[in-house]
Amino acid sequence: MAMITFRINRYNPDDERRGHYVQEYQLDVEKGTTLLDALNEIKWKQDGTLTFRRSCRSGICGSCAMTINGVNNLACETQVLGLGNSTVTVEPMRGYPVIKDLVVSLDPLVRGILAVKPYMITHSPPPSDQERLQSPEEREKIDGLYECILCGSCTSSCPSFWADKEYIGPHAFLKAYRFIADSRDEGSREHLEALDDRHGLWRCHTIFNCVEACPKDLNPTKAISELKKELVRRKLG
Amino acid sequence: MRVIKRYRIHAGTFAWILHRLSGLGLIFYLLLHIWVISHLSGGEESFDGIMHFFGGPLFKLAEIGLVGVIFYHMFNGLRITLIDMGVMVERQKMLFVIAVAVWLACWGASGAVMISRMISATG
Repeated sequence: MAMITFRINRYNPDDERRGHYVQEYQLDVEKGTTLLDALNEIKWKQDGTLTFRRSCRSGICGSCAMTINGVNNLACETQVLGLGNSTVTVEPMRGYPVIKDLVVSLDPLVRGILAVKPYMITHSPPPSDQERLQSPEEREKIDGLYECILCGSCTSSCPSFWADKEYIGPHAFLKAYRFIADSRDEGSREHLEALDDRHGLWRCHTIFNCVEACPKDLNPTKAISELKKELVRRKLG
Repeated sequence: MRVIKRYRIHAGTFAWILHRLSGLGLIFYLLLHIWVISHLSGGEESFDGIMHFFGGPLFKLAEIGLVGVIFYHMFNGLRITLIDMGVMVERQKMLFVIAVAVWLACWGASGAVMISRMISATG
């Protein structure tokens, strides 16, 4: 057990006069406690007004992404004692407008992902007797791509996104490449359409913040370079 | 609604910020260069005058700095090109270390040559 101080950035839209402020909470934390457990404990026992998103508490839904000690991560996958500090700073994810406390508006995230048509597009009819099959080698090609849970950590940390609110964003590039790399998908042109644009791929400055920020250790910049190559191949080929 | 625009600094951030600053430096140098060359239209005296002004030791030292800026922009530019081509994307920090090592080696070597020439010219 260890007494941990949580410094939580708070904001209530109904109290504009107070604006953004930091509130401290103390909590006895034992080994195995995740930040999400701690936030729940604070909300349930100390301050019911504390607001944050959460759903699956097992690193799949991406709802509880927040900036923890300056780094984007999922609260449910962050061991409080593993952070190694007696003080833990919790902020809403940066780069997005704050709605309340730790809840941010993910509208830009949704706009970006919809731009790349994030679903499998096929033009040929499916085989009549079976589903569209894929060899293990073909399946392997989408490793490191399909695992994205759309938590928004990457785009939150991206300076290109800070500078251009219409920037499609690394999360959407990764998703676009997930389908383009999928042997069953026949809609590469449709996925790529929105990317060859001033709000698209070419605004990436290879700063690698998205790679640093991804809680799932994925590499959106790699997807971006593959997409750039694909676009160039199409133009020149 | 407040939006915070910063994130933890790492190798990629340094590479990017230095690339931007060196790019701005090169634009400034090019404009200066064009302005100096434009003195040619004013005749021999005008050109010799401006060349004399820029021939001082302070500007000679600044030239060594300029070479450093050019080399950084060049080698980090190559690093970005490699990344765009999908080379070492997963090892970009190592690639940055390599780019910096090559940059410093080239800058050091050319700086040494320039300084030795400066010394032999004055001596």
